[in-house]
Amino acid sequence: MQVTQYTRDILLEVAKKKKVYVEGNFLKLIEPELGDTEFIEYLKICKEKDSSARKKRLQVTKQVQQQNKELVKKQEENDALMEELQMALEEAKNAEWEADKLRQEAEKGKEQALEDLELMQKKTQFELIGKIVTVALWVILGVGLITTLLFAFTLIMGQENPILESTWSNLFGILLTNSFSIIGTIMGVKYATEKDT
Amino acid sequence: MIDSILLVDDEDLFHLVFEDACSLLDMTLSLEALNSSDEADKLFKKWFEEGPAEERPKCVFVDLNIIGSSFDGIELIRKINSDYGNGVVIGIISSSDDNQEIEKAKQVGAQFWIIKSDEIEPRLEEFLNDYDGYVAKTSPFKVYK
Repeated sequence: MQVTQYTRDILLEVAKKKKVYVEGNFLKLIEPELGDTEFIEYLKICKEKDSSARKKRLQVTKQVQQQNKELVKKQEENDALMEELQMALEEAKNAEWEADKLRQEAEKGKEQALEDLELMQKKTQFELIGKIVTVALWVILGVGLITTLLFAFTLIMGQENPILESTWSNLFGILLTNSFSIIGTIMGVKYATEKDT
Repeated sequence: MIDSILLVDDEDLFHLVFEDACSLLDMTLSLEALNSSDEADKLFKKWFEEGPAEERPKCVFVDLNIIGSSFDGIELIRKINSDYGNGVVIGIISSSDDNQEIEKAKQVGAQFWIIKSDEIEPRLEEFLNDYDGYVAKTSPFKVYK
């Protein structure tokens, strides 16, 4: 497409005075008249400037595109890391929960063991007390029986002995008093032990 | 030189790259760029049903996966070829080189597959050399790597 003489002159004047040149695809449509070297030169400069500007822009847009790609890649890496971190956090929480559960179970076990130990100790104590009571009762009964038999023997034989009578009476009284005293002591100890625990 | 080109791609930055590359290669005088396959579909439907046919671009470059669209680039090519008259040189421009997708595109009538890269100009230049064959439907399907 050829431009009119007036348009050509305006274009050349604007280029000369304002340094403004035609650019874009419209430039590809303009054809100079044969032999118009000035306008041919003008169009050549216009094309060079347009091409140079486009090259620069292309370079920049490619760089931005590359940076965008890298950013997207880094974002993906970040997302993956965040996901891993989240998972690790959850695992840590689970482990903490498990540890807490185990600790509680261990504490429960310890309490149970202490209770069992205490029970065993009490059982042993009761058994010991039982044995002591049994032996004491046997001793009391034995002494009482022997004295009674001895006293009965003297009565049957007709040999009254005032000393033996008073001894039997005293002994029986003492044994009776002592037996109650022993039982009272044992009951007191038992009561005191229960109160302490 | 191709009279008019339509680019369908969701990436605005690639519109600029493509426009500058086309300009530097003297590929076309008129370049229109759209962001979605739905927009392109509407335009082709309008041109097919109401005309004028001259407004239709001569060559269409379609991205494979167009984010924010109802359908992908292969479906758009199928629609243009099957539903709207099959009157343009059409193909895919994508960063993907998936053979299955390439085969699908070929089956719906895509004439070429250009793989996007940092250096798009040599591929476009090679495409420009083959363009007349695509118009005449004599050039076989080609992948520009």
